[in-house]
Formats: sequence, structure tokens, C-alpha cells
Amino acid sequence: MAKPKVALYWIAGCGGCDVAVLDTNEKILDIANLVDIVFWPIALDYKYHHVEAMPDGSIDLALINGAVRNTEHKKMVELLRAKSKVVVAFGSCAYLGGIPGLGNFVSNADILKRVYLEIPSNANPEGTLPQTHVKVPEGELELPALTDSVLTLAQVIKVEYFLPGCPPAPDAIMKLVELWATGKLPPPGAVVASDKSLCDECDRVKENKKITKVYRSHQIVPDRKKCLLEQGLLCCGPATRGGCGQKCINANMPCRGCFGPPPGVVDQGAKLVSAIASIYQGNTPADIARMLDEIVDPAGTFYRFGLANSLLHKTRVPASQGGSTK
Amino acid sequence: MKTARRIPLLKKMLGQLGIEEDRLRLDWVSASEADRFARVVNDMTEQIRRLGPFSRTGGGNNG
Repeated sequence: MAKPKVALYWIAGCGGCDVAVLDTNEKILDIANLVDIVFWPIALDYKYHHVEAMPDGSIDLALINGAVRNTEHKKMVELLRAKSKVVVAFGSCAYLGGIPGLGNFVSNADILKRVYLEIPSNANPEGTLPQTHVKVPEGELELPALTDSVLTLAQVIKVEYFLPGCPPAPDAIMKLVELWATGKLPPPGAVVASDKSLCDECDRVKENKKITKVYRSHQIVPDRKKCLLEQGLLCCGPATRGGCGQKCINANMPCRGCFGPPPGVVDQGAKLVSAIASIYQGNTPADIARMLDEIVDPAGTFYRFGLANSLLHKTRVPASQGGSTK
Repeated sequence: MKTARRIPLLKKMLGQLGIEEDRLRLDWVSASEADRFARVVNDMTEQIRRLGPFSRTGGGNNG
């Protein structure tokens, strides 16, 4: 029997997801024995036309990491969708928009302005901005255009499974491959991780669920045994799915929310607003003003990985300032 | 009293996301204050009407 065919692809990501696959170390050889890897830009020299030439549905499993940020990403994931039986949104960017999704706090026009015109280290006296089409003696060249906003994979194509993590841990990757190889994957649509919140799995001592003052990570060295939230650090554990192995918590850092909302939570940021504000101590207007002061950047903190996947999806930009409805 | 803290924090976050402050209002009305209840609801309705329907590019005429 022919070996199953697997494709791996990256779009708007940092490369860390692909490195996480390599971090399975010698187990990558087991995977290579089990399957044929037919497309994997970080490791193998296959071109887009090789994928185009494959019959529809001939790839058994496509693992796609990164968010959708431009027209090339869109075209490639649509192509891989057509060629693949099962598509996995691999890692937090593909699943939630991830760190690239923070781009949804500003308009594309503002991103280009900042990067090409305002950055102090940039010498661009003519104010040149990237163009999608340029004429050269040999003809016209085309470059991908930014999409109106950063999109999650499932906002562009149908996705069967979601593997959260920034990046997914090597053992979680092996578990996914094993479940798939043995036909034991849950019904399509599932997030392959824990069904509990991170707080439910966390071993730290929780005493009174109260915050008297919010600290930022650089301001204190927290006690290693006690709940980070109770020590005043904005830990996203109450509204973040577990199953990550608590690497940040074990490193004495609060959860940043990369696993996305747990089952039953629609909007991770809104849930965190509710959770954090309800345990903050103090009811006077002065207390509330202090809380607002101490929580410097609620949207950036509570939607650090999930803005593109949230109910609002992006900051609203008036049409007069280049906003669009997508 | 949790609500008294949640709504200001939510407002701060919605502001970062470009949502007008006037679309969200927290007010306290006792069960015995029927007139005040009606007034608050009417005020809010009028306020939202002035802002226009919510849209991604700005509501009503302010887009």
C-alpha cells in the first residue's frame, strides 16, 4: 500500500512551527517512515507547480501554519485545500491569527506608512511604498497584495482540525500524527488539545482569587508556587485552553493565551475582561481608575493571539481613514 | 459590584478597538424607579440612533 501523503506549509508565521516539527528530533524519522512528505518549503525543494500538478484530494494531510496576510497566502491555501483530504490549522497563527493578527489593530495604510515612511532607521526620501505591479524592461512584475485584514485559516478555507500553540509542542505534534495515523481523530472541527482551561490544570497554589494591584512582568519576581494572577500578573489562564504543558507557567511567566479560548468561551478577550475585573479589589471610582491605569493595554493583552479570531476581528477604522468592511 | 469594574475595563478595551464610548452605558436603576428606567432606556435609544447602525467602517454618517 502506498504511504499516505503529507504536506506542510507556512504562511504569515515566524517559522517556529516548522522548527517545532523538526524538534520532534528522531521521531521525525518515524513520521518520514510512516508517510510521504510531498511538500514542505522549509525542508524540501518542491515548487508551487508541483502541488498544482497533483490530483485533487491526493494529499492525505496538510499541516498549514501561519495566518493569511496576503493574496499569495490565500491562493496557496485554497490550492492546498483542493488537493487535501484533511487540513489542520497548525499553531496559534493559523488557528487564531496569532501575533501577526495584532496587525488588525491598525489599517494597512498605517502599517505601510509606519514601516516605510516613519521608522527612524529607514532611508526612504522619495517616500516609496511597495507596489503590487511594476513595469520593468522585461515586462510587468506582480507581487502579492496585503489582504484587508489578517485572517485565520478557517476564515479562508474549510479546516478539519486545529492544533493550538505558539508553537505546538513536539509531543502534541506527535499525538496529532498518531491520532491521524490510527484513525482516532475526534470529529472534524475539533481543537486537538485539552477541554479544560489552563487554570483547571495549573498546579500553583490558589488561595483567595483576589488582585490588589496589577503588575507587569518586568516589575516583580513572582513566587514560583503561588497563582500568578493572585500575585497581580495578568495571566490569561482563566480564559485559555489547557493542554500546553504549562511551559510559560513553569518558567514563572504568566499565560499569554496562545491556546485560544476553552470550550464554551466565544470571545477570549471579553472573557478575560470579565475574569480580571471581577477579582480586582476595590469599588470606589478611585479604585476603578487605578485598575484602568494598571491594565495598560487590555486589548493587546487579552487578544494577544486571538484578535483575528475574536468577535470584532479588527479595530474599526472609519472609511474616511481607509477602513474596509472585510 | 463586579459590573462596576467590568464595564469601565470593557470600555477601555472597546476604545482600543475603535468602538465609540457612547455605544455602551452602565447605569443603576432601582426596581422602584420606573420613570427613571424609562428615561435611561429612551436616552440610550436616542444616543444609539444618533450614532447610527454599527458597521466596521464607522456607523451611520460618521464613516
